[in-house]
Amino acid sequence: MAKEFARKNIDFIFLYTREAHPGENYPAHRSFEQKLAHARAFREHFKVERPILVDDLAGSGHNLYGMLPNMTYLIGRSGKVLFRAEWTDPPTIEYAINYVFQSRSRRRDGLRLAPFYAEFVGYRWNDPAKFQEGLRRAGQQAVDDFARTTQRWQKQGPRPGRIELSE
Amino acid sequence: MTNQTEVEEYNYSVFVGSEEFVSFRTLLPVGSSAPDFQATLLETGQPMKLSEYWKKRDVLIEFGSLT
Repeated sequence: MAKEFARKNIDFIFLYTREAHPGENYPAHRSFEQKLAHARAFREHFKVERPILVDDLAGSGHNLYGMLPNMTYLIGRSGKVLFRAEWTDPPTIEYAINYVFQSRSRRRDGLRLAPFYAEFVGYRWNDPAKFQEGLRRAGQQAVDDFARTTQRWQKQGPRPGRIELSE
Repeated sequence: MTNQTEVEEYNYSVFVGSEEFVSFRTLLPVGSSAPDFQATLLETGQPMKLSEYWKKRDVLIEFGSLT
């Protein structure tokens, strides 16, 4: 997707944050060098071609943008946030980018379009098997910590800030 | 200067679930100016300002980690 959109004047970058699910193989960062090493391992493992920017050890940049583990922001040349999502989901991103491009194009064609604030519910593809594989890559501790947290969530009921829809 | 405790709190060693999903909603709604910060470009090891990207082109930023 990054390559496809590169033709359309949009850069895709990856911002490396703290480890969301630290484990024996990839523990919590205790030095910037360690964070760089994890970012390199990430690049190799997923064959990432986008530029990777590594946030500082304290997570200063991550903190400015809301600290979620895998969020996405689309920022326009105006320096304004045009789209953002709690989770990174390629079809949702494609939808948002196309919407922005189409709107600009219609505007250039002379249509009077006024920007406005809008929200919608995203639907992301959730693959539990692949997620567990990721946890195992981090180490058994990551698997156990997630299992323990899931049990707690189930006891607690609906989680604040989460959207639950049956349709 | 951020102190050691804050750094270790941010880089938690045991996952207990993100608490930030509630605050995320009001933090930077669409239409806000994106805050600028400096990070290290992995390829070169050089510092890079995020605004260097959006000054030239639209930019899609994914935040994440290996785990």
